[in-house]
Amino acid sequence: MKTTFTLNGTERTYECAPHESLRTVLRREGFFSVRFGAETGETGSAAVLFDGRLASAEVMLAAQADGHTIETIEGLNPPRGLHPIQQAFVDAGAVQSGYSIPAMILAAKALIASNPNPTEADARDALSGILDRETGYLRPVHAVLRAAAMLRGDEVSPVEPALIEPLVPLGGSPDMGAANSPLNLPPLAPRVIPSPEVPETNVVGKPERKVDAIKLAKGHPAFVDDIEMRGMIYAKMLYSPHAHARIVSIDDSAARALPGVHAVLHHGNVARVRYASGGQSYPNPQPYDQVSFDNKVRYVGDRVAVVAAETIEIAEEAVGLINVEYDVLPAVFDENEAISGNAPVIHDEPDMEGAHDAANNIVQHIGAEVGDFEAGLASADRTFERTFRVHQVQPTPIEPHIAIAWLDSDERLVIRTSTQVPFHVRRMVAPLLDLPVRDIRIVKPRIGGGFGVKQEMLIEDIVGHLALATGRPVRLELNREEEFISSRTRHPQTITFTSGVNNDGMLVAQRMRTVANTGPYGTHALTVQMVSGLRGLSTYNCPNKLFDCDVAYTNTPVAGAYRGYGAPQALFALEAHMEDIAAEMGMDALEFRRRNWTKVGDPLDVAAELGEGAAEMKFIPVVTSSGMDECVVQGQRAVGWQRRYDPAWLQPADRPHIRRGLGFAMCMHGSAISGLDMGGASLKINDDGSFNLLIGATDLGTGADTILAQMAAEVLGVSTADIIVYAADTDMTPFDVGAYASSTTYVSGMAVKKAADEVHRQIVTRAALMLDVETLGEIELKDGAAFAPDGRSVTLEEVALHSLHQDDQHQIMATASYVAPDSPPPYAAQFAEVEVDIETGQVTIENLVMAVDCGVPINPLTSAGQIEGGMVQALGYGHCEEMVLDESGAMVNARFGPYKIYRADEMPKIEAYLVQTMEKSGPFGAKAIAEIPKDGVAPAIRNAIFNATGVQIDNLPFTPERVWNALQTG
Amino acid sequence: MQTIHGYHRPADLEEALALLNRSDTPTVVIAGGTRVAAGLIQAGEVVDIQALADASISSADAHVSYGSLVRLQDLIDSEDTPALLAETAMREGPNTLRHTATVGGTVAGADAESELVAALLAHEATVTIARPDAQVDVPLDELLDDRSLLDGGIITAVTVDAGGETASARTGRTPADTSIVAAVGRVVPGGFRLALTGVGHHPLLIEQDDIERLDPPGDFRGSPAYRRELAAVLSKRVIAMLGGAV
Repeated sequence: MKTTFTLNGTERTYECAPHESLRTVLRREGFFSVRFGAETGETGSAAVLFDGRLASAEVMLAAQADGHTIETIEGLNPPRGLHPIQQAFVDAGAVQSGYSIPAMILAAKALIASNPNPTEADARDALSGILDRETGYLRPVHAVLRAAAMLRGDEVSPVEPALIEPLVPLGGSPDMGAANSPLNLPPLAPRVIPSPEVPETNVVGKPERKVDAIKLAKGHPAFVDDIEMRGMIYAKMLYSPHAHARIVSIDDSAARALPGVHAVLHHGNVARVRYASGGQSYPNPQPYDQVSFDNKVRYVGDRVAVVAAETIEIAEEAVGLINVEYDVLPAVFDENEAISGNAPVIHDEPDMEGAHDAANNIVQHIGAEVGDFEAGLASADRTFERTFRVHQVQPTPIEPHIAIAWLDSDERLVIRTSTQVPFHVRRMVAPLLDLPVRDIRIVKPRIGGGFGVKQEMLIEDIVGHLALATGRPVRLELNREEEFISSRTRHPQTITFTSGVNNDGMLVAQRMRTVANTGPYGTHALTVQMVSGLRGLSTYNCPNKLFDCDVAYTNTPVAGAYRGYGAPQALFALEAHMEDIAAEMGMDALEFRRRNWTKVGDPLDVAAELGEGAAEMKFIPVVTSSGMDECVVQGQRAVGWQRRYDPAWLQPADRPHIRRGLGFAMCMHGSAISGLDMGGASLKINDDGSFNLLIGATDLGTGADTILAQMAAEVLGVSTADIIVYAADTDMTPFDVGAYASSTTYVSGMAVKKAADEVHRQIVTRAALMLDVETLGEIELKDGAAFAPDGRSVTLEEVALHSLHQDDQHQIMATASYVAPDSPPPYAAQFAEVEVDIETGQVTIENLVMAVDCGVPINPLTSAGQIEGGMVQALGYGHCEEMVLDESGAMVNARFGPYKIYRADEMPKIEAYLVQTMEKSGPFGAKAIAEIPKDGVAPAIRNAIFNATGVQIDNLPFTPERVWNALQTG
Repeated sequence: MQTIHGYHRPADLEEALALLNRSDTPTVVIAGGTRVAAGLIQAGEVVDIQALADASISSADAHVSYGSLVRLQDLIDSEDTPALLAETAMREGPNTLRHTATVGGTVAGADAESELVAALLAHEATVTIARPDAQVDVPLDELLDDRSLLDGGIITAVTVDAGGETASARTGRTPADTSIVAAVGRVVPGGFRLALTGVGHHPLLIEQDDIERLDPPGDFRGSPAYRRELAAVLSKRVIAMLGGAV
């Protein structure tokens, strides 16, 4: 059938099938800004203007659009540059991955068209249908208001950092008087507390525009799916309906016979090659407990088979024609039950490698001790013990996993994939496909969010197998339900802390006993739990520490990497435990922590025992920078901490069923995996004095490309716009481990700085020749030129032309790499304000404040965005997100809505503070920032509920019935 | 997997009803179509009523009538809409959905957690259904109790008694979450008209004295016992807000 509508001002007629969505048709016709997020439409990434109103093209039949007017962002885009609404979004720092930004900009357009003077509530509602896992909504909402002001002709101020006086003088005590005086700051201004130790810079430390802003704000084709491949066929997976079963037989004859089917792959026709799917450095940590297709399934959602066909509809039909006979086995879902000795054995295959005790479902046992825990505990004045349970959640990037593979003209396999780890994927996929690494190219275009779930070789082997089997380009995209059930999740854990404390409030012994649930595969099982132990036992000083951890196989969905990587679990338990100890000892909760938290010069002794790079660690690291004191005081002021002691505030007289509370949690993370993570960068000059920066680092939307460009620009005395970034293509860019472990700023940044330093040297040498200056050190690069001490100068364009064309020709370029010997911890103070309805158990989060010491923030705008977005993800973890399985192990809420993530129109107030410290080991003083925002929200909410009600809740999330039950018994 | 293999956009009601009542073709009506397009409702063929259905809002004699094709956002924006209906329609979903979803579709869906349907119950809604043989007005509570009343028919309008003070209370995981249980109430002569979501297979009109006898279905967001407790607490709050004794 045909559908005719006015699209971006022009009447168009398209062929469509009755079942096809408007999104499908628009994308087929090249309108790539209309992007997939969920087959049920909740993400809004496919929103368009339908007769001027925002509507999801995902859940609208193309036929319904007949006779109507449709507008996509392609209709808004000026030929070059940005529309004012797009400009407002870029200026506000609202663009991270940019996957859903076209939809947000259309939402703004529709709102402003009907209401030129929108309120914040109007803007929140306008964006309510577009889910965002990245920004925390603060910047998009205020970008809408900024856009409205711009379109009204109002003058808008540049978004500049608000510089805030420190409250803790160097070596002094906090100014608590000032801490009780709230600030009134513009919502978009990144809040920066400068450090006098930080030298002045020109580009670094500035809120530079993202280098990918144009393509993202304009919805240009930039993501994996935004290409057209002639002859492309479509893959569809068959997943296990059983939590644990042997595959007795697979009859694929009917599927193969279906016209349009090109391949059906399963364990019967794909080589059995063992691997671990976690995207990690060589050699991948064991166990090697997966194969592309197995003869046994171990969770609902496990791989059974895959079909490639001419259309996705044919592939789906063929999947339904595959007849699988299962021998269903008993299953186990609880981690403690799984390792009890009485549970079904999940890995009984003889060729599995590297599990600690597969017969008892113990995939890893991790132990580490500093001092003598038992002796320390015995010596303590008081002892405390408490057990916590943290649950399973899914990262849910709005762009789900997607990969497209094809054979190029040299018959090399190209995989264009949404990954955080392109180089690891190339190395890991090669043996599965029986190809040498040299015959594989991995291309990472823009990514619509990752958050760790794409630190995995999840589907690249499948598209590789299919491309090789068919010779055709093959596309596999997970739909939202598949993303929920078959990708990766955060490890559930049962954590027991046992602590010995002397009467002076000093910790003398601390043990963390963890039983973690990795699901049926041990990807990241070792390292996530190591990080749990590291964070749980290195945040506070204690002379006697013990980490004792078992990681269990179960038949739940597979756990893996998720932003925070074991720290959110550990810090929930630790910070709840510390709060409770302080309460029982009658101490102020902050003062108790302050006495014990690690400070500059303190050893991080457990780091030598735990962590991926521990084996390579040659020394016990010490804390070299910390802004923790400042973070706490800034956060106290911002959240209004003194209200915690005001009975009239805690129990509002006009609402007798409401209790209010304020909670705190300390956070400490790492900056890369020391001794292991490596980043590379290559930099060359162009004829006009611009530079190509080639990096293997993987920008997930975090702004990594931008801050790396800023670092290069700072060294070379040019602007960020002079640096053209190309990233993450295994054929074209230097190696980088990829985006994980909060490594990009710290490790890849130093690689960029080293390459830039060498290019700087070469430019200075050339400029000295041109300016006839004998001492190279006298040449200064600034403002795009090289200056002699006497003021004479040559532009970098002149330097480039001279070196490339005129005399003693030489390509000014350099490649450098860097491995960090250290992993300096960022610190943070997280505060939460809650209201608890004591009659229903409903918890309402009113305010989240986080003050972070990330060293020197290279770009305060993107850094603030990282904190705000991370806090909101963490809010979901603590408050409302949970994967729920039924008795058979099937997820019952594999859809947004039932799986609840926050929307723009229900967000609490959020605020981020950047407390500068000068971390001398980092590039320009930087430490990491990406993951620490995930660590403190859940315990801060928990402690706020405790403050409000006196009830201690030790399980996540704080859903109404759980809180209500606790209130009944507490 | 969506199975739609036929799309129709009839020009008049007679043609639509004929298409809907074919014995050999499973056919569903779509207005906004969001749930059908999402695959949440399986359909062989669809009859899109956008060309024939009424999208107007009219008010007379303290009653407001909504054509079945009135978008939820239009209901919210109408000055004729009672406050409780506007408030609960806002809670049906984000703006992307409210610009598409319709009054008729919401009533036909009768989701157990729909606060708008509960509010319509409180406002004594009458549903006008066109059938091949006649057009009938059915009280919404009767339609919810007997869904077969809608078989072979198309909702053409929903009419409410607009008068009476109203109140609402709810509990959810987050402020905009679909409520686990919600209570809405309206003052009517001689008492209150109270409706609840989340305690049955569709929103229920209920007397306060009957709450203890509720037998709600449970799920991961709320057990039966918890939902019953919420029903009691929230109902009391609504009645108190309306000035009643609790």
